[in-house]
Amino acid sequence: MEPGRSGRQSGNPGDDRTGVSIVPALRILRPPALVLGVGLAGVAFGYWANTTYFPGTTPEQPIEFSHRIHAGDNQIPCLYCHSQARRSAIAGVPSVNRCMGCHEKVATDRPLIREVARYFADKEPIPWVKVHDLPDFVHFPHKRHVLADIACQTCHGPVETMDRVTRLAPTKMGQCRACHEEHAVVNGQDCWTCHK
Amino acid sequence: MGTIDRRDFLKLVGAGGVGAAAGFVLAEAIKHPVEHLIPYPVPPEEFSPGVAAWYNTVCSMCPAGCGISVRTLEGRAKKIEGNPSHPVNQGRLCALGQAGLQVLYNPDRLTGPLMRTGARGAGPFVQTTWDDGIAELAGRLNELRADGRSDRVSFLTAGVRGHLAALLELLMAELPGARLLQYDFDHPHTLLAANERFFGAGSLPYYDLENARYVLSFGADYLGGWLSPVHHALGFGRSRQGRSGARGRFVQVEPRMSLSGAAADEWIPARPGTEGFLALGIARQLVAEGGYEGADRDAWAAALDGHTADAVAAQTGVPAATIRRLAGDFAGTRPSLALGGGATGGHTNGVDALVAVNALNYLAGNVGRPGGVLFNPPPAFGPRARAAHASYRDMLALAEDARRGRIEILVVSDTNPVFTLPAAAGFAEALAAIPYIVSLSSFMDETTGLADRVLPSHTYLESWGDDSPEPGVGFTVGAIAQPVVAPLYDTRSKGDILLGIARALGAGEDFPWANMEDYLKAGWREVYGRAPIPAEAGGFEAFWISVLRAGVWGENGRRESGSPAVEARVIDAVGVAPPEFAGSSDEFPFVLHPYLSHALRDGRGANLPWMQELPDPMTSVWYGSWVELNPATAERLGLREGDVVDVESAHGKIGVPVYVFPAIMPDVVAMPIGQGHAGYGRYASRRGANPIQLLAPLTEPVTGGLASSATRVRLVPTGRRVSLVKQGGESRQLGRGIVRTTGAAAVTGPGARLASIPIKVEST
Repeated sequence: MEPGRSGRQSGNPGDDRTGVSIVPALRILRPPALVLGVGLAGVAFGYWANTTYFPGTTPEQPIEFSHRIHAGDNQIPCLYCHSQARRSAIAGVPSVNRCMGCHEKVATDRPLIREVARYFADKEPIPWVKVHDLPDFVHFPHKRHVLADIACQTCHGPVETMDRVTRLAPTKMGQCRACHEEHAVVNGQDCWTCHK
Repeated sequence: MGTIDRRDFLKLVGAGGVGAAAGFVLAEAIKHPVEHLIPYPVPPEEFSPGVAAWYNTVCSMCPAGCGISVRTLEGRAKKIEGNPSHPVNQGRLCALGQAGLQVLYNPDRLTGPLMRTGARGAGPFVQTTWDDGIAELAGRLNELRADGRSDRVSFLTAGVRGHLAALLELLMAELPGARLLQYDFDHPHTLLAANERFFGAGSLPYYDLENARYVLSFGADYLGGWLSPVHHALGFGRSRQGRSGARGRFVQVEPRMSLSGAAADEWIPARPGTEGFLALGIARQLVAEGGYEGADRDAWAAALDGHTADAVAAQTGVPAATIRRLAGDFAGTRPSLALGGGATGGHTNGVDALVAVNALNYLAGNVGRPGGVLFNPPPAFGPRARAAHASYRDMLALAEDARRGRIEILVVSDTNPVFTLPAAAGFAEALAAIPYIVSLSSFMDETTGLADRVLPSHTYLESWGDDSPEPGVGFTVGAIAQPVVAPLYDTRSKGDILLGIARALGAGEDFPWANMEDYLKAGWREVYGRAPIPAEAGGFEAFWISVLRAGVWGENGRRESGSPAVEARVIDAVGVAPPEFAGSSDEFPFVLHPYLSHALRDGRGANLPWMQELPDPMTSVWYGSWVELNPATAERLGLREGDVVDVESAHGKIGVPVYVFPAIMPDVVAMPIGQGHAGYGRYASRRGANPIQLLAPLTEPVTGGLASSATRVRLVPTGRRVSLVKQGGESRQLGRGIVRTTGAAAVTGPGARLASIPIKVEST
């Protein structure tokens, strides 16, 4: 008789001979397994809740600067303040000096403008919080994209409608590749085009 | 199943709650950290974040004076390159120059003025203020001056040129009798003295390697550490490959193969100290058989009489046939050029030997010609008097005066004599007798460690200054050094410290300049006034900006110099005294050949990690010291690579591992200079050993400079072994055919020109 055969036979349900069953083990493990399962579900829920309701894509800024008022209502071009975007890899934020260029005369009585004026008087930089931040291993030159007439809104979203800027773009690799494909960028899919 | 009791329910609720909290925290923890965008309140002119700004300035890592371009981003220096417009380095830069960033960002930099609180040399330093530091120094200087004892003041600095040197000179005029000493271990005293004696030229000439077709170098490691290595490397490359149809031939005479020896077509070991005889032997061949036709031929023939090829062969160990061949090639391959320096100038007959090298150039007609020796115009700015560099004898005199209590204030700047003077000089002990020592160094080096006050100066990348390179390039060149970054710490530029001292001495009227920049501009206004610049060029401000932008200024690019006639008494005096060595050859069988490390030079680069991890080009060893031994010597002594031996001279001993090096004479041992610091920061200290400490206090009689190649040593095995840190574990080819070799017959057969290794030279 083949040994394998007898082994299989012993596991048949109708067989009287003593066999191995996992049912008793499950019975013992049931409460811990359930607790573990619910716990893991809780982790997933907590993670989801955090990323959905507290995504950090709309950070609070040191001064409640409104792009809606500046870029939307008053139609100030993006490159007026972010003037380095066409010259440098870094778009940069305007110097406090640039803010005061207008606000020495404009709306000087508003409390927020007074705060800007205080920064300027103290020669202190305003510690703006970055909304769009790429990892350090990614090279994104603003200059090339601005010179290629890519609208700022392509990545940054309709900033001119936002009071507090929020990040809508995923800023993940897929977005770069899709756009490069769409515009048939030369070497646009090459690793070294974006990665340092 | 199916029912959940109360206890299970509570468990599940608890698990779910804890899980959710954990998930929330997890999501929060892996989120991208918040970053800030910090704008300038008021941005500097021409500033763009993310766009590099390049500033031209002058390298100060060695005395060559190369021009550099520093790449800065957002006000931080990121990279140093050679300035393509500067005629010395023409866009190239050596490794030490590249490592200048690590001087700027060195974690061991002194960040503010310091005052010693405990015992000298041990006591902790505490931070103090600039006003306090300068007021105390000036107060003491004033006190001595009021008593008419300002001759008890000494300023000891590394070699300085340009307007900083002129400012030092002005300050010295305020302190009658005070001594200004410039000391560098590697200053070419003997070369300057030999040129002075032979040509009557007080400055270093321009050696036109680029246009030379045959270069005979006596000990001058022109590709390594000699004078202006980057410029020489350019000339070497162009001589070899820059002309179609002509390839420069290079011959190197030295006891231990240097980088230049390795790059040469022929390497000739002559017994240490006899290189001058070899030059005389070749010179005699030029006069007797090479067809020298000058009017002073008879005088030369008389002066060189007796230096026949056979006599010189007996003195130097170089075969007579080789001497005749060298003379024939030297006279027959024009333009040719003879260089002398390094260890050849580091013997007790150094000046004689280098005069003999100059005689070779004269006899072959290389003086004042392209491809030969050309003379430099005097610098366009700088001190009125040519500052004499302190020789070893001058430093001994300073130490002696200190011991006798004749020095009351010593100001040390950028030079580290405690490290670069032999232990036999007793300099550290002499410093103990000086009541008040102030150091202006940026680092806590060995000498600064003995100071009472430290007034740390800026690094060169933060300072204003200027330079006219020495040796020059054959025409007038000057360059302005401008700060490329704002000062990182509470330090001051040397010029500003000197101006501060002058003002505190009450000499404000003679020093009307607000700061070093102001003084420099005033000086360059004079340069502008003298230079033939058309008025419509835009005035001084435009000139100043253009010089800053270009990083260099010169009057014309033509090299032209005459060939001075050599006086009869100079010809009569040509001759080389036999070299003297410290120690008997019985007791100390080896001549110690210390050489400047390519990376660390005289030790100044030892605190730079990049320089520590740069392998020596000849041995590939790094991170330490070693002693080089000929394989035959090593075999005779039963030593292998890594065996630690005590290198002992009559003046000290140091323990270093052996490196077996085939390209060194059997009775010579070589050690690189630069390691063995006791202080000088975390990267330099407690690494390797300092061969300068072994040197005997033997001087070259004309210059009083230290005869640094004239010390005899013995090797005492310690029985310990270490493994040398080096690249490549195997020095044999193991049948891989990497380098083609030739049989002994080809080496020794008739017409053979290859130097055989190991070298067979009878020991002296």
